[in-house]
Amino acid sequence: MQIFLQLAVSGVALGMIYAVIAFGYQLTFSTSQTLNFGQGEALMLGALAGLTIAGQTGYWAMIPLVLVFGALQGVVVERLGVAPAIRTRSEFGWIMSTIALGIIFRNTAENVWGKDDLKFPSPLPEQPLHVLGINILPMEILVVVGAIAIMLAVEFFNRRSIFGKAFVATSDDREAAGLMGIPAGVVITFSYALSSMTAAFAGVLVAPLTLTGASMGSVLGLKAFAVAIIGGLDSGLGVIVGGLLLGLAETTTGYYISTGYKDVPGLVLLLVVLAARPAGLFGKTTIRKV
Amino acid sequence: MASPKAAWRAAALLAALAALLALPHLWPSPYYIHLAQVIAIYAILLLGLDIVVGYTGEVSLGHGALFGVGSYATGVLVFQLGWPAWITIPAAIGVTAIFGALLALPALRVTGPYLAMVTLAFGTIVQIFINEMDFLTNGPLGISLRKPMLWGTRMTANEYYYVVVLVLAATVVVVNRILRSHLGRAFEALRDAPIASDCMGVSVYRHKVIAFVISAALAGLAGGLFTYSEEYISPNTYSIELAILFLLAATMGGRKTRSGPILGAAIVVLLPNLLSDVSLFRILACAGAVAATGFGGWAVVRGRMSLRRLVPPVLLLAALAGFSLRIEDMTDYRLTVFGLLILLVVYYLPDGIIGFLRTLVPRRRGPAAGAAATAGATAPPAAVAVPSVEAIVHTHQRRVAPGEPVLRVRGVRMEFGGLVALNGVDLEVARQSVHGLIGPNGSGKSTMMNVLTGLYRPTAGSIEFEGISLAGRTPSHIAATGIARTFQNVQLFSEMSVLENVLVGLHHGFRGTIGQVMLRTPSMRRQEERARVRAANLLRFVGLAGWEDEEARSLPYGRQRLLEIARALALNPGLLLLDEPAAGLTAPDIEELSAIIRRIRESGITVILIEHHMDVVMGLCDRISVLDFGTKIAEGTPAEVQASPRVIEAYLGSGATEGEA
Amino acid sequence: MLSVQGLCAGYGKVEVLHEVSIEVPAGRLVALIGSNGAGKTTTMRAISGMIRPGSGRVLLGGRDITGLPSHRVARAGIAHSPEGRRVFASLSVADNLLLGSFPRLTGGRARGDIAADLERVLSLFPRLRERSRQSAGTLSGGEQQMLAMGRALMLSPAVLLLDEPSMGLAPRLVADVFATLEQLKGAGVTMLLVEQFAAAALRVADTGYVLENGRVRMSGPAAALRDDPAVRAAYLGAAH
Repeated sequence: MQIFLQLAVSGVALGMIYAVIAFGYQLTFSTSQTLNFGQGEALMLGALAGLTIAGQTGYWAMIPLVLVFGALQGVVVERLGVAPAIRTRSEFGWIMSTIALGIIFRNTAENVWGKDDLKFPSPLPEQPLHVLGINILPMEILVVVGAIAIMLAVEFFNRRSIFGKAFVATSDDREAAGLMGIPAGVVITFSYALSSMTAAFAGVLVAPLTLTGASMGSVLGLKAFAVAIIGGLDSGLGVIVGGLLLGLAETTTGYYISTGYKDVPGLVLLLVVLAARPAGLFGKTTIRKV
Repeated sequence: MASPKAAWRAAALLAALAALLALPHLWPSPYYIHLAQVIAIYAILLLGLDIVVGYTGEVSLGHGALFGVGSYATGVLVFQLGWPAWITIPAAIGVTAIFGALLALPALRVTGPYLAMVTLAFGTIVQIFINEMDFLTNGPLGISLRKPMLWGTRMTANEYYYVVVLVLAATVVVVNRILRSHLGRAFEALRDAPIASDCMGVSVYRHKVIAFVISAALAGLAGGLFTYSEEYISPNTYSIELAILFLLAATMGGRKTRSGPILGAAIVVLLPNLLSDVSLFRILACAGAVAATGFGGWAVVRGRMSLRRLVPPVLLLAALAGFSLRIEDMTDYRLTVFGLLILLVVYYLPDGIIGFLRTLVPRRRGPAAGAAATAGATAPPAAVAVPSVEAIVHTHQRRVAPGEPVLRVRGVRMEFGGLVALNGVDLEVARQSVHGLIGPNGSGKSTMMNVLTGLYRPTAGSIEFEGISLAGRTPSHIAATGIARTFQNVQLFSEMSVLENVLVGLHHGFRGTIGQVMLRTPSMRRQEERARVRAANLLRFVGLAGWEDEEARSLPYGRQRLLEIARALALNPGLLLLDEPAAGLTAPDIEELSAIIRRIRESGITVILIEHHMDVVMGLCDRISVLDFGTKIAEGTPAEVQASPRVIEAYLGSGATEGEA
Repeated sequence: MLSVQGLCAGYGKVEVLHEVSIEVPAGRLVALIGSNGAGKTTTMRAISGMIRPGSGRVLLGGRDITGLPSHRVARAGIAHSPEGRRVFASLSVADNLLLGSFPRLTGGRARGDIAADLERVLSLFPRLRERSRQSAGTLSGGEQQMLAMGRALMLSPAVLLLDEPSMGLAPRLVADVFATLEQLKGAGVTMLLVEQFAAAALRVADTGYVLENGRVRMSGPAAALRDDPAVRAAYLGAAH
């Protein structure tokens, strides 16, 4: 029981990271029906850039800079990879080009930071806290707090500022938003900036807890698909539930079965979710007018 | 079959085969023979992948894993049981096909990015399992084995090479046969217009699965051959990178061709070799940049390409050349080059290199189609006898007595969320009549159409066609029962020819297993011949004689509508639903359309006509039903409907009947 | 104010509009009527930038806005209340109205007094004031129509395009809509109205254009068109 609770606690932190990545998928899919297959690489770049910057400025001052970096990276992905595909209405286009950009980013990271995993110094003391007989790392608490904070911040933005409302309007009905004077293209670019920004932030949150390296992102991004699909588009809360489920499933599998199989639950979950709900995954089931 | 084009192609194939077989003698380097062998093996897989990506238009990131399944099926059987190649290779095909089916059956219910995710997940899982299940696969240590035995002695490298080349040749022939058959047409159709496909009786889901399983079998074959080729396999070969590499190769070579996959395979296999030799890479990159600039400049001067489109790829290649001059070792940047290639192909070569080369060669058209095109788009071909209606339309098997209505709709209700689109509509359509269905915008006409053809499931009510209840049937099932339709927005299979579009409508008439298709048995050939004759007759019936070889999307709009009708007639329907066939047509086209609809009625087929063009409706229909807000508000002859105050009010608003003369 | 000259437009290969020309003088209500498939909605969409015309010109106050994307056309001062209303279902009524003034808030258009305009809209549609916090997706059809019109008015537009505001509404609500149009007319708003219900549209309009198969078949003072039997024929076909 003790062990199980311990696993649950680690699972929560991991799960919140999945939730943030999935949240990023929702942001771009809601406005453009596309997403970044290289989202894991956005996380990885955030972590590695954060590592370098933190060397100069310390962890806390680094965060706003990484957010900006993430946003810029998102804009690059959208301009280079997604916008041309939206223009030519080619699904194959944005799927392959976001994959390609992910590969390029990963290879560049390997060349800049090397192929080995690096240690990301933790901003918080590494002594675990003992609560009810379970060890909790302060960093794990920061992950949960940080993840919730950024998701709430974006939601707040969407509800309060006129730009946020324009964003929601574009998700609801892109054409009608255009009639309001809202430039859909700019909104989509902005959604990608936000999405990569949250992924980069997730990167600097998770980096101290795990190995930081060029390959840290890919499988994370893939498993977060399952969380995004479970969560659905309309509910920010859904991705948190999905993320926690997945995080828990992974830590328990890793312990009770074998660490080699630790990625399997997430992937199987993805297959099951897609098989069980083939239509209407990301939001409303559209009736196609013929 | 004996056309000059086919003869040329056969000759080219034989020449290529001969050249490949002669390679060990012309250039006896074991390294390059092995390289050619791997190219051939990848080509086998890519020919299969092209069916999924190029024809059905699905993104599969799982073919690296399927390749691995085939590889390990062979490897494990040799490693654990020591079985010979004539068992292990077919076993690889079979096992991988089963894996493919298990993946496809649930996965192909989703499409686009969801399918990409599913196949990505599948690929990752397979790699993990191969790595972890070391009791079976020897895990990360891999499996070592040697070339298979042939008549008691072990094959030499050259002998194995010949085997691989012959298998590739056989694969090209088999894949070609499949893709030129009715199955190949079905694959293309479902990508171009999936809804129309279902409504023509070609089940989209079923055929996507078939395509995927065929490609899985070929991936398994390639995998098994690969195991013997490399004599050592390990899990990290079969990664997602490999799957992406396969997609890149399939796209870069050229979709929907047989030479494209081979070219693509050659490029991706030779690429790492290219990249590891920096000086060679520099030469090629600079040469490529110069060539692209020169070629692009020529194209701009000739007016074939705009300057704006030219700049990005030329800049990209120049940057690549500059980059190549600066760095010393390419292997570290291999993946970046790979990623850039994907971007280049996705945006500038969506049809691949072969596809691009084809656009440069002006398309030679058949003389008949050419004459029809120049004679004026709307002028009907002169002096072509329209076949008698009995000759072209098979009499639909009647299941109800002559006096009975052919369609009986009772109390049909259709709700979407809170919106009631159809509110308890009753309809009876008499045999061999033209029945009009009209009403203002949003009255529910198209909804009714979609309910009748199975695209929507009604919330309540019953529909009986010739005494058979249509409740819960899928569109392709309803098509098979005898109801055909056309669409408000034309849903043609745009990349296929006019004749092929009609042939898809005739899909239901083909009988035969995939084995028979692959072997191209006499029975299959006869069926194909008969179908072509029937399709040509149908085209003559609607006035499209001479247009057979034109690509459907290049047809003038009026002709496209007629083609849809011909395709629908190919289903041998008892009931034909026409959804706004006159929309966007000019007056002479409308005359022609009305004449065709009358002929269809004479042939014994019942027609339901949705139309806004009132002159057409009033002139053609025997009876008209009027809908408004999902309710039937009037029914009767054209004159009765025109005079009905309720109808006038529905269209023109209240107060419109005041002060009428 | 709004001048459409020789407009040709369509979707892909289909040309729907052939040489359509319409004049909407300032302060007037012009009705565009015709049966389905005649091209009325296509005309609206070509004006507001939802589709690009193949040829022809669209002038707003003398300025050429042909072919501009819809968000630019909105900034120039054309508010389009589209067919089917298309309110933003996830947002509240208040937010929908606020978004109508988006170009004014973000510098694309003169700011003016947004609060006063909002007050005016809410006075015109008291039901919206009651439901101000409610999510737009939960409104009834009639209320959504009011919201769409209010939203368009929030742009403080030079020209208001109204596409089939009566569609899908019960007769009593249709009367409400037309009453509102009378009020707006009284306030001097320049409007182009597309309607299937010719009779009511011609009663409230100053001038009318009848479209048939993508061409302007007749035009003139609304009063004259009202009594013209040719209008009925355009809808229901020649007598049989």
